[in-house]
Amino acid sequence: MSNQALVDAEWALSHLDDAKVVFIEVDEDTEAYAGNHIRNAIALNWKTDLQDPIRRDFVNKEQFEALLSAKGVSNDDIVVLYGGNNNWFAAYAYWYFKLYGHGDVRLLDGGRKKWELDGRELVSEVPSRAATKYVAKDQDRSIRAFREDVLKAIGTQNLVDVRSPDEYAGRLLAPAHLPQEAARIGGHIPTAANIPWSKAANEDGSFKSIDELKALYESAGVDLKKDTIAYCRIGERSAHSWFVLHELLGVKNVSNYDGSWTEYGSLVGVPVAIGDEPGTA
Amino acid sequence: MSGCGAVVGGVSLDNVDISTQAVIQGIVSKDGQPASVGYVRLHDKSDEFVAEVPISKQGEFRFFTVAGDWNVVTLIPGGNSRIVAHAELGKILDLEIAVS
Repeated sequence: MSNQALVDAEWALSHLDDAKVVFIEVDEDTEAYAGNHIRNAIALNWKTDLQDPIRRDFVNKEQFEALLSAKGVSNDDIVVLYGGNNNWFAAYAYWYFKLYGHGDVRLLDGGRKKWELDGRELVSEVPSRAATKYVAKDQDRSIRAFREDVLKAIGTQNLVDVRSPDEYAGRLLAPAHLPQEAARIGGHIPTAANIPWSKAANEDGSFKSIDELKALYESAGVDLKKDTIAYCRIGERSAHSWFVLHELLGVKNVSNYDGSWTEYGSLVGVPVAIGDEPGTA
Repeated sequence: MSGCGAVVGGVSLDNVDISTQAVIQGIVSKDGQPASVGYVRLHDKSDEFVAEVPISKQGEFRFFTVAGDWNVVTLIPGGNSRIVAHAELGKILDLEIAVS
């Protein structure tokens, strides 16, 4: 797939020693990097680095600047993100970099899984990068949705629930590999279409073709001329779907509701649908 | 809060009330030895992907899910497998998956 936002393994291999290209691993399994990683890659921890330690929110602009400065990332670096599980958390971090206006950020297609399954080299040495003075931009609110935006979108704009069918229907509250925790109730936001994030990826973690991705949304009846809000449980899988829609398919007006079901499913007084159908406004 | 993402098999069951969950876990092996690199995917009975975990260095994996039939798909370098597993509420289903 040819796209500015994606690089393949061959491109990566030819840039591993390029000082202006920073490879960053972001994994759900935060211990994976310590075991081994792509040569010269650094790591970000999705929780301790990217989330506020007290409030349920992201790191703010100043925290993001301090983080990237300490990690040795410059504003004019090409940042290449990769991770496990179809680049799930790498896509989440990609969205952060876009949210704070980084100039050139990309994903390694297939991420750590494809790299590992293809038998490519992983090392344990941790590189050192000199500290920088990274300057972030104000958050780009056009790609971030809040609960008020979601409530206004019911029945009028596209809501795309990217969780698994059982989570959408309310039979599960969390992905099947985690204890069933989080939101007070199960179900989905009325009128949301269920297009699981994983349908965008091949089994090896690489993205499907542009034609396949377009068909995925069109076949679900999503009118991409309307504004679209994607959500999941805590905004990570929906960052992956946001990447597909906004970065690969070039659809404008797509935002990620990072509060997602853990917030919505615990709100008092909002409409909720259960079962396999979208429900009505 | 735990992430939406994968947790390596072998995660502690401390403080987890499994009476309300169906647990599928196991060990992946190749040529009689635990596989140290690979992924296990859980697909529902319609073969819709639900979750994926990397296996541990000892080849372990674990899913928390609901009762029913599940397709357990294993990917390791140079091989893969697919089996059907029947999970029951409040029980731990232990699998031994040999990938050729």
